Amino acid sequence: MNVPVWLCIPFAGLLACVALGPVLFSEWWEKNEPKAVIAWACAALALCVPVLGAKQTAELAAETLLNDYVSFIVLLFGLYCVAGNITFEGDLAGSPRVNIVLLTMGTLLSSVIGTTGSSMLMIRPVIKMNSWRRHKGHIMIFFIFLVSNLGGCLTPLGDPPLLMGFMRGVPFFWSLHLFAPMLLNMIVLSAVFYPIDLHYYRRDVMRGRRPDISAPGTELKVGGAHNLIFIVMIVSAAIASGVLPNLSAFQDETGAAAGIRVMENVKLTYPALIEIAVILAAAWLSFATTNPENRRKNHFTWASIREVAVLFIGIFITMQPALMLLREYGGKMALTKPWEMFWATGALSSFLDNTPTYLVFLTAAGALGEPAGVSTSLGLVPVRLLEAVSAGAVFMGANTYIGNAPNFMVKSISEENGVSMPSFFGYMKWSLGCLVPVFLLDMLVFFR
Amino acid sequence: MSEQKKYDKQYFLDLAARIYDLDVDVYETLGSSLGRVFGADRDRCVAELASLMRDVKGESEVRNSLALIGNMARTLPDGDDHFRLLTEYNAVLHELSQLPSGLASTDILDEKNARLNELHLENRFQPGQKLIICISRSCGAGASDIGFMLADRLKVDYYDAEIFAAVIRRLEAEQDGVADLFGGSAKQAGSIFERVRQRTTLREKLRQISRYHGLPARDAVFFSQSGLICDMAKRQDFVVMGRCADVVLANARVPHISIFITAPEDLRTRRVMAVNHIDEKKARAMIHRVDRVHAAYYRFYTGRKWGAAENYDLCFNSANYGIQGSIDFIMNTLRLDRFREAKRSAE
Repeated sequence: MNVPVWLCIPFAGLLACVALGPVLFSEWWEKNEPKAVIAWACAALALCVPVLGAKQTAELAAETLLNDYVSFIVLLFGLYCVAGNITFEGDLAGSPRVNIVLLTMGTLLSSVIGTTGSSMLMIRPVIKMNSWRRHKGHIMIFFIFLVSNLGGCLTPLGDPPLLMGFMRGVPFFWSLHLFAPMLLNMIVLSAVFYPIDLHYYRRDVMRGRRPDISAPGTELKVGGAHNLIFIVMIVSAAIASGVLPNLSAFQDETGAAAGIRVMENVKLTYPALIEIAVILAAAWLSFATTNPENRRKNHFTWASIREVAVLFIGIFITMQPALMLLREYGGKMALTKPWEMFWATGALSSFLDNTPTYLVFLTAAGALGEPAGVSTSLGLVPVRLLEAVSAGAVFMGANTYIGNAPNFMVKSISEENGVSMPSFFGYMKWSLGCLVPVFLLDMLVFFR
Repeated sequence: MSEQKKYDKQYFLDLAARIYDLDVDVYETLGSSLGRVFGADRDRCVAELASLMRDVKGESEVRNSLALIGNMARTLPDGDDHFRLLTEYNAVLHELSQLPSGLASTDILDEKNARLNELHLENRFQPGQKLIICISRSCGAGASDIGFMLADRLKVDYYDAEIFAAVIRRLEAEQDGVADLFGGSAKQAGSIFERVRQRTTLREKLRQISRYHGLPARDAVFFSQSGLICDMAKRQDFVVMGRCADVVLANARVPHISIFITAPEDLRTRRVMAVNHIDEKKARAMIHRVDRVHAAYYRFYTGRKWGAAENYDLCFNSANYGIQGSIDFIMNTLRLDRFREAKRSAE
């Protein structure tokens, strides 16, 4: 089926609103954001009706909401709830050195508990330690670069695209091939971050700001540490949702994942249901077993998750035509070189969901018929192409606020806690200035 | 008594004993239990103090100890004890100032220029207002002596190295090799950079991270010092040397007077040579090094140019007045006599 490009207009319109709304008509946007988002989503579906037909459009909407959006938002919700119950107490003062250590820890943790888990877990300690400072938006930007994106490249636990690759036969530890690019990016970005942070740190000091270090020594205390068990529970559920569909017990007679049929071509699969149930149970257990005082100390509110939930329902629906176009033309783009795959996957992952983007280009790479490479269910994928697709999908999610799930969440939590974050385009200035040169370096060193 | 005979070993021991006894007397009269300047071992303390007095490098240490005693004595309620102890303090201070290489012994006066000055005075302070004077200085300009004697003239506390000592105590960091960038003599300050490099074990590094709250030691000390200066500014009048105190107080919106004292390099060199008994080459090198370190420190923490006139209320050339003349100049320019009188009448 030929998907007309104009079907992408609502997606572009929504992005334009997200980018310009808070800048040009902030008051109106603040009050009417949910309405605007829903309006664009409805517009996208309305435009799809004449092209796809009413039934297929309804199925598209149901499929997107049930299988993509619900699992996305439930995972985010679960991690948000559980991480919100873990407090870090202590008076380590946010300085360039401390921030580098925190960012490094978060980056490495991302490959263990996922970029979303790591972001939700680390964001509050970073905000707290830097609470004495006035200029700290840049810290959150580099947090998004490193913790919410780059750090997730080492294992399938790190980022959903890699989990999809694992489900299609890419060995679990194969992603460690990306250690060298990740290390290079981490070093370069840290080297860029340090002088920037030092500059703002000094600016705060010069204006008389100083941390409270009156207590003799630093005692770090983790409150609600038992919630780490629930984080493990959530991460396990997310992995299980990727692994279980390959087990025969969860497959129907056609070999597809079994589940509850909602519409003719739409199923809510049992693995997805298990994932949702386990995550919601973890969130409930976390709330039931943790002192509410922890949430008060963490300034836990529902506003951030509500904002992300509303925004992404629109993004998920409006981007479907763009994803259909990508599926239609992605394989025909005749991309054969690693750098082409790296930039194509990356550029599209910056705005679209990186999981389907990754799958489109992985499929294209598997269809090249190369004689050697990593054996997957999609064919043999040359190692360098697989590296390029994986790195592009994971790394370049950092290019925009909507490139990866935790990005907007970090922005929202930061703003809720008094950190002034740049606008959509303001953030892109940072990514163009700091990330794109690093990706060019990646291309020259690893993906030529 | 000939000068040679007067300044023999016994003389220094006697003077040291007077300082020690003054400390004990002030401490006992106050009835304080918060510790005193010198330890309980009288003989050892007196011997150490005498040794410091004979050594030009110990000059600032003796002065700081005496300043601490004076600061304590001034907190005594008015009466016989107050008068008795401050009289003794002044007498000891006078003795110290007479030492050949001791306090204020080497002036920086350029007599030719000094004759040209007339002091025009303006009223600056309201009675009852806290008087805080922040003095910055280029190396060898005699500013430490000016600050110390100015504090004494005003009967207010004087803080220099003791601020750093208090911060170090607060951070329990004596063993970490954190050096006082501003304290001590010019020679000491010049020879010590920001931090004495030491090999440290991982355990010790972790201990340092905990002690300094993850901050670089120098920053932790600066923040603590700044906090201490702001705390003191709420309670008392004082003269403070360096420590970016002018900017710290400005940021905290605490009224204060900032003064920068300098002098021509040749005269500063001459003074440093005389005070430290070193040759000209070494003296110039020391002046350049100390000034460079001070400028970098000031720039780092305040973003301002150290010594630039626009950053201070009053900048002057101490060579035009000499040490006593500089004190008069500050007193008269800022109409500090009014402050002193107001304080006296309030007492």
